[in-house]
Amino acid sequence: MGELKYELSQNAYIKLVLHARKHKTAAVNGVLLGRVSPQNDAVVEIADSVPLFHSHLGLLPNLEISLIMIEEHYSAQGLGIVGYFHANERFDDLELDSIAKNIGNHICRYFPQCAVLLLDNKKLEALPKGKDRSPVMQLYIRDASKNWKLVGSDGGCQLLTKEPAANVVLMDYISSEKWQDVVDFDDHLDDISKDWLNPDLFK
Amino acid sequence: MVTKTEETQLNRLENQVDNGGGGAWEYLCLVKKLKVRRPDKVLRHGLSILNDPKKRSALGPDGRLEGILLEAKGLWAEAEKAYSSLLEDNPLDPVLHKRRVAIAKAQGNFPTAIEWLNKFMADHDAWRELAEIYVSLQMYKQAAFCYEELILSQPTVPLYHLAYADVLYTLGGVENILLAKKYYASAIDLTGGKNTKALFGICLCSSAIAQLTKGRNKEDKESPELQSLAAAALEKDYKQRAPAKLLLLTSALKSLKTS
Repeated sequence: MGELKYELSQNAYIKLVLHARKHKTAAVNGVLLGRVSPQNDAVVEIADSVPLFHSHLGLLPNLEISLIMIEEHYSAQGLGIVGYFHANERFDDLELDSIAKNIGNHICRYFPQCAVLLLDNKKLEALPKGKDRSPVMQLYIRDASKNWKLVGSDGGCQLLTKEPAANVVLMDYISSEKWQDVVDFDDHLDDISKDWLNPDLFK
Repeated sequence: MVTKTEETQLNRLENQVDNGGGGAWEYLCLVKKLKVRRPDKVLRHGLSILNDPKKRSALGPDGRLEGILLEAKGLWAEAEKAYSSLLEDNPLDPVLHKRRVAIAKAQGNFPTAIEWLNKFMADHDAWRELAEIYVSLQMYKQAAFCYEELILSQPTVPLYHLAYADVLYTLGGVENILLAKKYYASAIDLTGGKNTKALFGICLCSSAIAQLTKGRNKEDKESPELQSLAAAALEKDYKQRAPAKLLLLTSALKSLKTS
Protein backbone atom coordinates (compact mmCIF):
# COMPACT_ATOMS: atom_id res chain seq x y z
CA MET A 1 0.00 0.00 0.00
CA GLY A 2 1.43 3.35 -1.03
CA GLU A 3 1.68 6.44 1.08
CA LEU A 4 -1.95 7.40 1.36
CA LYS A 5 -3.26 10.39 3.21
CA TYR A 6 -6.73 10.12 4.71
CA GLU A 7 -8.31 13.53 5.14
CA LEU A 8 -11.20 13.40 7.57
CA SER A 9 -13.68 16.26 7.40
CA GLN A 10 -14.55 17.88 10.70
CA ASN A 11 -18.22 16.97 10.56
CA ALA A 12 -17.53 13.34 9.69
CA TYR A 13 -15.01 13.14 12.53
CA ILE A 14 -17.12 14.79 15.20
CA LYS A 15 -20.26 12.87 14.33
CA LEU A 16 -18.51 9.55 14.94
CA VAL A 17 -16.93 10.57 18.24
CA LEU A 18 -20.19 12.05 19.51
CA HIS A 19 -21.99 8.83 18.59
CA ALA A 20 -19.47 6.80 20.59
CA ARG A 21 -19.82 9.25 23.46
CA LYS A 22 -23.62 8.89 23.40
CA HIS A 23 -23.39 5.14 23.88
CA LYS A 24 -20.46 5.08 26.28
CA THR A 25 -21.02 1.59 27.61
CA ALA A 26 -21.58 -0.10 24.27
CA ALA A 27 -19.59 -0.89 21.17
CA VAL A 28 -20.64 1.33 18.26
CA ASN A 29 -19.79 1.55 14.59
CA GLY A 30 -20.25 3.73 11.53
CA VAL A 31 -19.26 4.09 7.89
CA LEU A 32 -17.08 6.68 6.20
CA LEU A 33 -18.19 8.27 2.95
CA GLY A 34 -15.82 9.88 0.52
CA ARG A 35 -13.72 9.50 -2.60
CA VAL A 36 -10.19 9.55 -3.89
CA SER A 37 -9.25 13.20 -4.34
CA PRO A 38 -9.66 14.25 -7.96
CA GLN A 39 -6.56 16.46 -7.62
CA ASN A 40 -4.29 13.93 -5.99
CA ASP A 41 -4.87 10.20 -6.02
CA ALA A 42 -2.67 9.73 -2.95
CA VAL A 43 -5.34 11.46 -0.89
CA VAL A 44 -8.63 9.93 0.21
CA GLU A 45 -11.14 12.60 1.17
CA ILE A 46 -13.55 11.42 3.85
CA ALA A 47 -16.37 13.90 3.40
CA ASP A 48 -19.03 12.47 5.68
CA SER A 49 -19.91 9.63 8.01
CA VAL A 50 -23.03 7.79 9.09
CA PRO A 51 -23.26 6.34 12.60
CA LEU A 52 -24.68 2.84 12.31
CA PHE A 53 -25.39 0.76 15.40
CA HIS A 54 -24.99 0.60 19.15
CA SER A 55 -26.18 -2.96 19.69
CA HIS A 56 -25.73 -6.37 18.04
CA LEU A 57 -22.98 -5.10 15.77
CA GLY A 58 -22.28 -8.65 14.69
CA LEU A 59 -25.64 -9.25 13.03
CA LEU A 60 -26.04 -8.95 9.28
CA PRO A 61 -29.61 -7.92 8.42
CA ASN A 62 -29.55 -4.36 9.72
CA LEU A 63 -26.05 -3.84 8.36
CA GLU A 64 -27.12 -4.92 4.88
CA ILE A 65 -30.15 -2.65 4.81
CA SER A 66 -28.16 0.31 6.09
CA LEU A 67 -25.40 -0.12 3.52
CA ILE A 68 -27.88 -0.38 0.65
CA MET A 69 -29.63 2.83 1.64
CA ILE A 70 -26.46 4.73 2.50
CA GLU A 71 -24.73 3.83 -0.75
CA GLU A 72 -27.82 4.78 -2.71
CA HIS A 73 -28.01 8.17 -1.06
CA TYR A 74 -24.36 9.14 -1.34
CA SER A 75 -23.72 7.86 -4.86
CA ALA A 76 -25.90 10.73 -6.06
CA GLN A 77 -23.23 13.04 -4.60
CA GLY A 78 -20.38 11.15 -6.19
CA LEU A 79 -19.34 9.63 -2.87
CA GLY A 80 -18.95 6.00 -1.88
CA ILE A 81 -18.16 4.02 1.26
CA VAL A 82 -14.44 4.40 1.83
CA GLY A 83 -14.04 3.16 5.36
CA TYR A 84 -15.41 1.96 8.65
CA PHE A 85 -15.36 3.30 12.19
CA HIS A 86 -15.48 1.22 15.34
CA ALA A 87 -15.47 2.01 19.04
CA ASN A 88 -15.05 -0.85 21.50
CA GLU A 89 -17.27 -1.39 24.50
CA ARG A 90 -14.52 -1.12 27.06
CA PHE A 91 -12.58 2.07 27.69
CA ASP A 92 -9.06 0.73 27.37
CA ASP A 93 -9.67 -1.89 24.69
CA LEU A 94 -7.60 -1.02 21.63
CA GLU A 95 -7.92 -4.30 19.84
CA LEU A 96 -9.54 -4.49 16.43
CA ASP A 97 -12.10 -7.26 16.78
CA SER A 98 -13.24 -9.73 14.14
CA ILE A 99 -16.48 -7.89 13.44
CA ALA A 100 -14.56 -4.75 12.51
CA LYS A 101 -12.16 -6.73 10.36
CA ASN A 102 -14.97 -8.54 8.56
CA ILE A 103 -16.79 -5.35 7.73
CA GLY A 104 -13.49 -3.77 6.69
CA ASN A 105 -12.82 -6.73 4.40
CA HIS A 106 -16.25 -6.38 2.86
CA ILE A 107 -15.68 -2.69 2.11
CA CYS A 108 -12.24 -3.48 0.63
CA ARG A 109 -13.94 -5.46 -2.11
CA TYR A 110 -15.40 -2.25 -3.47
CA PHE A 111 -12.77 0.21 -2.27
CA PRO A 112 -9.35 -1.37 -1.80
CA GLN A 113 -7.92 1.63 0.06
CA CYS A 114 -10.54 1.17 2.78
CA ALA A 115 -9.59 2.72 6.11
CA VAL A 116 -10.67 1.27 9.42
CA LEU A 117 -10.70 3.76 12.29
CA LEU A 118 -10.75 2.71 15.93
CA LEU A 119 -11.63 5.17 18.69
CA ASP A 120 -8.84 5.81 21.18
CA ASN A 121 -10.60 6.65 24.45
CA LYS A 122 -7.45 7.54 26.32
CA LYS A 123 -6.52 10.06 23.66
CA LEU A 124 -10.04 11.47 23.74
CA GLU A 125 -9.90 11.82 27.48
CA ALA A 126 -6.54 13.62 27.29
CA LEU A 127 -7.77 16.20 24.80
CA PRO A 128 -8.75 18.96 27.24
CA LYS A 129 -5.33 18.75 28.88
CA GLY A 130 -3.22 19.14 25.78
CA LYS A 131 -3.20 20.79 22.40
CA ASP A 132 -3.27 17.64 20.33
CA ARG A 133 -4.60 18.30 16.86
CA SER A 134 -4.49 14.75 15.60
CA PRO A 135 -7.70 12.73 15.48
CA VAL A 136 -8.48 10.61 18.55
CA MET A 137 -8.58 7.49 16.41
CA GLN A 138 -6.22 4.80 15.29
CA LEU A 139 -5.92 4.11 11.57
CA TYR A 140 -5.79 0.56 10.25
CA ILE A 141 -4.96 -0.37 6.67
CA ARG A 142 -4.96 -3.79 5.03
CA ASP A 143 -1.50 -4.93 3.93
CA ALA A 144 -0.55 -7.08 0.96
CA SER A 145 -1.32 -10.30 2.86
CA LYS A 146 -4.79 -8.94 3.70
CA ASN A 147 -4.02 -8.40 7.38
CA TRP A 148 -5.22 -5.28 9.15
CA LYS A 149 -2.22 -3.32 10.38
CA LEU A 150 -2.13 -0.35 12.70
CA VAL A 151 -0.54 2.65 11.01
CA GLY A 152 2.07 4.19 13.26
CA SER A 153 3.53 7.65 13.05
CA ASP A 154 6.46 6.20 11.13
CA GLY A 155 4.20 4.56 8.56
CA GLY A 156 3.59 5.90 5.11
CA CYS A 157 -0.15 6.40 5.59
CA GLN A 158 -1.58 9.24 7.56
CA LEU A 159 -4.85 10.23 9.13
CA LEU A 160 -5.62 13.87 9.74
CA THR A 161 -8.57 16.16 10.03
CA LYS A 162 -9.14 18.56 7.17
CA GLU A 163 -9.76 21.42 9.59
CA PRO A 164 -6.91 21.81 12.09
CA ALA A 165 -9.14 23.04 14.91
CA ALA A 166 -11.46 20.03 14.75
CA ASN A 167 -10.54 18.88 18.27
CA VAL A 168 -11.40 22.26 19.73
CA VAL A 169 -14.83 22.12 18.16
CA LEU A 170 -15.21 18.51 19.31
CA MET A 171 -14.48 19.39 22.91
CA ASP A 172 -16.97 22.21 22.72
CA TYR A 173 -19.69 19.88 21.52
CA ILE A 174 -18.86 17.30 24.16
CA SER A 175 -19.12 19.80 26.97
CA SER A 176 -22.45 21.05 25.65
CA GLU A 177 -23.58 17.40 25.49
CA LYS A 178 -24.32 17.64 21.78
CA TRP A 179 -23.98 13.87 21.59
CA GLN A 180 -27.55 13.53 22.77
CA ASP A 181 -28.76 14.68 19.36
CA VAL A 182 -26.88 12.11 17.30
CA VAL A 183 -29.15 9.69 15.43
CA ASP A 184 -27.79 6.37 14.20
CA PHE A 185 -29.27 3.69 11.98
CA ASP A 186 -30.40 1.69 15.01
CA ASP A 187 -32.44 4.72 16.14
CA HIS A 188 -33.89 5.07 12.64
CA LEU A 189 -34.97 1.44 12.51
CA ASP A 190 -36.66 1.84 15.89
CA ASP A 191 -38.39 5.03 14.76
CA ILE A 192 -38.15 5.85 11.08
CA SER A 193 -38.96 9.50 11.66
CA LYS A 194 -35.41 9.83 13.06
CA ASP A 195 -32.99 10.80 10.31
CA TRP A 196 -29.63 8.99 10.16
CA LEU A 197 -28.30 11.78 7.99
CA ASN A 198 -28.34 14.06 11.06
CA PRO A 199 -29.01 17.11 8.86
CA ASP A 200 -29.44 19.54 11.74
CA LEU A 201 -26.70 18.29 14.02
CA PHE A 202 -24.18 21.02 13.28
CA LYS A 203 -26.56 23.87 12.62
CA MET B 1 -22.05 17.27 53.24
CA VAL B 2 -20.58 15.97 56.47
CA THR B 3 -21.54 17.70 59.69
CA LYS B 4 -19.07 18.43 62.46
CA THR B 5 -20.54 15.76 64.73
CA GLU B 6 -20.49 13.21 61.96
CA GLU B 7 -16.90 14.06 61.20
CA THR B 8 -15.90 13.66 64.82
CA GLN B 9 -17.70 10.35 64.99
CA LEU B 10 -15.99 9.22 61.80
CA ASN B 11 -12.55 10.14 63.06
CA ARG B 12 -13.18 8.45 66.36
CA LEU B 13 -14.29 5.25 64.73
CA GLU B 14 -11.43 5.41 62.27
CA ASN B 15 -8.94 5.64 65.12
CA GLN B 16 -10.62 2.82 66.95
CA VAL B 17 -10.64 0.48 64.00
CA ASP B 18 -7.12 1.36 62.90
CA ASN B 19 -5.87 0.44 66.31
CA GLY B 20 -7.61 -2.90 66.38
CA GLY B 21 -10.41 -1.77 68.65
CA GLY B 22 -13.18 -3.29 66.57
CA GLY B 23 -16.19 -1.45 65.20
CA ALA B 24 -15.15 -2.01 61.60
CA TRP B 25 -18.70 -2.63 60.48
CA GLU B 26 -20.00 0.57 62.05
CA TYR B 27 -17.11 2.47 60.49
CA LEU B 28 -17.84 1.12 57.02
CA CYS B 29 -21.54 1.87 57.32
CA LEU B 30 -20.75 5.42 58.33
CA VAL B 31 -18.32 5.88 55.45
CA LYS B 32 -20.97 4.63 53.07
CA LYS B 33 -23.65 6.80 54.58
CA LEU B 34 -21.55 9.95 54.50
CA LYS B 35 -20.08 9.08 51.10
CA VAL B 36 -16.61 10.15 52.20
CA ARG B 37 -13.57 8.93 50.35
CA ARG B 38 -11.43 6.59 52.40
CA PRO B 39 -10.60 3.95 49.79
CA ASP B 40 -7.61 2.34 51.50
CA LYS B 41 -9.16 2.05 54.93
CA VAL B 42 -12.45 0.84 53.51
CA LEU B 43 -10.64 -1.80 51.53
CA ARG B 44 -8.53 -2.94 54.45
CA HIS B 45 -11.29 -3.09 57.02
CA GLY B 46 -13.88 -4.34 54.59
CA LEU B 47 -11.67 -7.23 53.56
CA SER B 48 -10.92 -8.05 57.18
CA ILE B 49 -14.62 -8.49 57.82
CA LEU B 50 -15.08 -10.64 54.75
CA ASN B 51 -12.13 -12.79 55.60
CA ASP B 52 -13.29 -13.44 59.14
CA PRO B 53 -15.94 -16.17 58.96
CA LYS B 54 -17.60 -15.17 62.22
CA LYS B 55 -17.97 -11.57 61.18
CA ARG B 56 -18.91 -12.48 57.63
CA SER B 57 -21.92 -14.55 58.53
CA ALA B 58 -23.17 -11.66 60.61
CA LEU B 59 -23.15 -9.54 57.43
CA GLY B 60 -26.06 -11.21 55.77
CA PRO B 61 -27.15 -9.80 52.42
CA ASP B 62 -25.27 -6.56 53.07
CA GLY B 63 -22.05 -8.32 52.12
CA ARG B 64 -22.84 -7.35 48.58
CA LEU B 65 -22.18 -3.72 49.38
CA GLU B 66 -18.55 -4.43 50.06
CA GLY B 67 -18.27 -6.28 46.78
CA ILE B 68 -19.79 -3.36 44.94
CA LEU B 69 -17.42 -0.99 46.71
CA LEU B 70 -14.46 -3.02 45.53
CA GLU B 71 -15.87 -3.16 42.02
CA ALA B 72 -16.28 0.60 41.92
CA LYS B 73 -12.60 0.97 42.71
CA GLY B 74 -11.65 -1.37 39.90
CA LEU B 75 -10.28 -3.94 42.38
CA TRP B 76 -11.59 -6.78 40.27
CA ALA B 77 -9.72 -9.65 41.85
CA GLU B 78 -10.76 -8.69 45.36
CA ALA B 79 -14.35 -8.06 44.34
CA GLU B 80 -14.53 -11.40 42.57
CA LYS B 81 -13.13 -13.12 45.65
CA ALA B 82 -15.71 -11.38 47.80
CA TYR B 83 -18.61 -12.46 45.59
CA SER B 84 -17.35 -16.00 45.20
CA SER B 85 -17.11 -16.46 48.94
CA LEU B 86 -20.56 -14.94 49.46
CA LEU B 87 -21.88 -17.28 46.79
CA GLU B 88 -20.68 -20.25 48.81
CA ASP B 89 -23.29 -19.40 51.41
CA ASN B 90 -25.89 -18.15 48.95
CA PRO B 91 -25.46 -20.21 45.79
CA LEU B 92 -28.76 -19.16 44.29
CA ASP B 93 -28.51 -15.42 44.73
CA PRO B 94 -28.95 -13.95 41.23
CA VAL B 95 -27.58 -10.53 42.19
CA LEU B 96 -24.28 -12.03 43.30
CA HIS B 97 -24.07 -14.10 40.12
CA LYS B 98 -24.76 -11.06 37.97
CA ARG B 99 -22.14 -8.96 39.73
CA ARG B 100 -19.57 -11.69 39.16
CA VAL B 101 -20.40 -11.86 35.46
CA ALA B 102 -20.24 -8.07 35.23
CA ILE B 103 -16.69 -8.16 36.63
CA ALA B 104 -15.59 -10.70 34.05
CA LYS B 105 -17.12 -8.60 31.28
CA ALA B 106 -15.46 -5.44 32.55
CA GLN B 107 -12.12 -7.16 32.35
CA GLY B 108 -12.86 -8.36 28.83
CA ASN B 109 -12.71 -11.91 30.14
CA PHE B 110 -15.45 -13.40 27.97
CA PRO B 111 -14.71 -17.09 28.48
CA THR B 112 -15.07 -16.68 32.24
CA ALA B 113 -18.18 -14.54 31.87
CA ILE B 114 -19.71 -17.24 29.70
CA GLU B 115 -18.73 -19.95 32.18
CA TRP B 116 -20.27 -18.08 35.10
CA LEU B 117 -23.40 -17.22 33.14
CA ASN B 118 -23.83 -20.88 32.27
CA LYS B 119 -23.63 -21.75 35.96
CA PHE B 120 -26.77 -19.91 36.87
CA MET B 121 -28.99 -19.87 33.82
CA ALA B 122 -31.96 -19.18 36.00
CA ASP B 123 -33.40 -16.09 34.49
CA HIS B 124 -33.97 -14.25 31.27
CA ASP B 125 -31.43 -11.51 31.88
CA ALA B 126 -28.78 -14.22 31.96
CA TRP B 127 -29.86 -15.80 28.67
CA ARG B 128 -30.06 -12.39 27.01
CA GLU B 129 -26.69 -11.35 28.32
CA LEU B 130 -25.17 -14.62 27.19
CA ALA B 131 -26.70 -14.29 23.73
CA GLU B 132 -25.26 -10.79 23.37
CA ILE B 133 -21.79 -11.93 24.39
CA TYR B 134 -21.96 -14.77 21.87
CA VAL B 135 -23.03 -12.37 19.10
CA SER B 136 -20.17 -10.02 19.91
CA LEU B 137 -17.79 -12.97 19.63
CA GLN B 138 -19.49 -14.05 16.39
CA MET B 139 -20.49 -17.40 17.94
CA TYR B 140 -23.86 -17.39 16.22
CA LYS B 141 -24.87 -21.01 16.79
CA GLN B 142 -24.52 -20.54 20.52
CA ALA B 143 -26.40 -17.26 20.39
CA ALA B 144 -29.20 -19.00 18.50
CA PHE B 145 -29.47 -21.57 21.27
CA CYS B 146 -29.91 -18.81 23.86
CA TYR B 147 -32.67 -17.16 21.88
CA GLU B 148 -34.38 -20.53 21.45
CA GLU B 149 -34.46 -20.86 25.24
CA LEU B 150 -35.82 -17.34 25.60
CA ILE B 151 -38.56 -17.97 23.04
CA LEU B 152 -39.49 -21.22 24.78
CA SER B 153 -39.93 -19.52 28.12
CA GLN B 154 -41.41 -16.25 26.84
CA PRO B 155 -43.00 -16.99 23.46
CA THR B 156 -44.89 -13.72 23.18
CA VAL B 157 -41.95 -11.36 23.43
CA PRO B 158 -41.36 -10.11 19.85
CA LEU B 159 -37.82 -8.96 20.66
CA TYR B 160 -36.62 -12.55 21.00
CA HIS B 161 -38.22 -13.65 17.73
CA LEU B 162 -36.57 -10.72 16.00
CA ALA B 163 -33.14 -11.35 17.49
CA TYR B 164 -33.38 -15.06 16.73
CA ALA B 165 -34.29 -14.31 13.11
CA ASP B 166 -31.34 -11.88 12.86
CA VAL B 167 -28.96 -14.56 14.14
CA LEU B 168 -30.36 -17.19 11.76
CA TYR B 169 -29.98 -14.83 8.80
CA THR B 170 -26.42 -14.10 9.84
CA LEU B 171 -25.65 -17.82 10.06
CA GLY B 172 -26.84 -18.11 6.48
CA GLY B 173 -27.79 -21.06 4.31
CA VAL B 174 -31.19 -21.76 2.84
CA GLU B 175 -32.56 -23.66 5.86
CA ASN B 176 -31.62 -20.95 8.31
CA ILE B 177 -32.91 -18.14 6.15
CA LEU B 178 -36.23 -19.92 5.57
CA LEU B 179 -36.55 -20.28 9.33
CA ALA B 180 -35.51 -16.65 9.85
CA LYS B 181 -38.30 -15.59 7.55
CA LYS B 182 -40.80 -17.48 9.74
CA TYR B 183 -39.55 -15.71 12.84
CA TYR B 184 -39.61 -12.29 11.21
CA ALA B 185 -43.20 -13.13 10.30
CA SER B 186 -44.07 -14.05 13.89
CA ALA B 187 -42.39 -10.87 15.12
CA ILE B 188 -44.59 -8.90 12.73
CA ASP B 189 -47.57 -10.79 14.05
CA LEU B 190 -46.72 -10.04 17.65
CA THR B 191 -46.19 -6.34 16.95
CA GLY B 192 -49.30 -5.86 14.84
CA GLY B 193 -47.27 -5.30 11.68
CA LYS B 194 -45.42 -2.34 13.09
CA ASN B 195 -41.87 -3.57 13.43
CA THR B 196 -39.63 -1.97 10.78
CA LYS B 197 -36.72 -4.36 11.37
CA ALA B 198 -38.94 -7.40 10.94
CA LEU B 199 -40.46 -6.01 7.73
CA PHE B 200 -36.99 -5.40 6.31
CA GLY B 201 -36.05 -8.86 7.50
CA ILE B 202 -38.73 -10.44 5.34
CA CYS B 203 -37.49 -8.57 2.27
CA LEU B 204 -33.88 -9.52 2.95
CA CYS B 205 -34.80 -13.18 3.44
CA SER B 206 -36.83 -13.36 0.27
CA SER B 207 -33.99 -11.82 -1.68
CA ALA B 208 -31.39 -14.13 -0.15
CA ILE B 209 -33.48 -17.24 -0.75
CA ALA B 210 -34.06 -16.26 -4.37
CA GLN B 211 -30.31 -15.88 -4.82
CA LEU B 212 -29.43 -19.12 -3.09
CA THR B 213 -32.03 -21.20 -4.93
CA LYS B 214 -31.33 -19.81 -8.38
CA GLY B 215 -31.46 -22.60 -10.90
CA ARG B 216 -32.76 -25.05 -8.33
CA ASN B 217 -36.10 -26.76 -8.49
CA LYS B 218 -38.93 -24.34 -8.17
CA GLU B 219 -41.02 -26.69 -6.01
CA ASP B 220 -40.12 -25.21 -2.70
CA LYS B 221 -40.22 -21.66 -3.91
CA GLU B 222 -41.90 -19.47 -1.34
CA SER B 223 -44.88 -17.42 -2.34
CA PRO B 224 -43.87 -13.85 -3.10
CA GLU B 225 -46.87 -12.42 -1.33
CA LEU B 226 -45.19 -12.05 2.01
CA GLN B 227 -42.39 -10.00 0.52
CA SER B 228 -44.82 -7.77 -1.40
CA LEU B 229 -46.90 -7.25 1.71
CA ALA B 230 -43.85 -6.35 3.77
CA ALA B 231 -42.58 -3.98 1.08
CA ALA B 232 -45.98 -2.32 0.84
CA ALA B 233 -46.18 -1.91 4.61
CA LEU B 234 -42.73 -0.30 4.68
CA GLU B 235 -43.58 2.07 1.87
CA LYS B 236 -46.77 3.12 3.56
CA ASP B 237 -44.99 3.80 6.81
CA TYR B 238 -42.14 5.76 5.21
CA LYS B 239 -44.62 7.81 3.21
CA GLN B 240 -46.29 8.80 6.44
CA ARG B 241 -43.40 9.24 8.85
CA ALA B 242 -40.22 9.63 6.79
CA PRO B 243 -41.24 10.97 3.38
CA ALA B 244 -37.77 12.35 2.70
CA LYS B 245 -36.44 8.80 2.73
CA LEU B 246 -39.21 7.24 0.65
CA LEU B 247 -37.28 7.32 -2.63
CA LEU B 248 -34.29 5.68 -1.00
CA LEU B 249 -36.50 3.00 0.45
CA THR B 250 -38.20 2.26 -2.84
CA SER B 251 -34.95 1.90 -4.68
CA ALA B 252 -33.48 -0.25 -1.87
CA LEU B 253 -36.50 -2.56 -2.00
CA LYS B 254 -36.20 -2.70 -5.77
CA SER B 255 -32.57 -3.73 -5.59
CA LEU B 256 -33.55 -6.46 -3.13
CA LYS B 257 -36.21 -7.78 -5.47
CA THR B 258 -34.02 -7.93 -8.52
CA SER B 259 -30.83 -9.23 -6.85
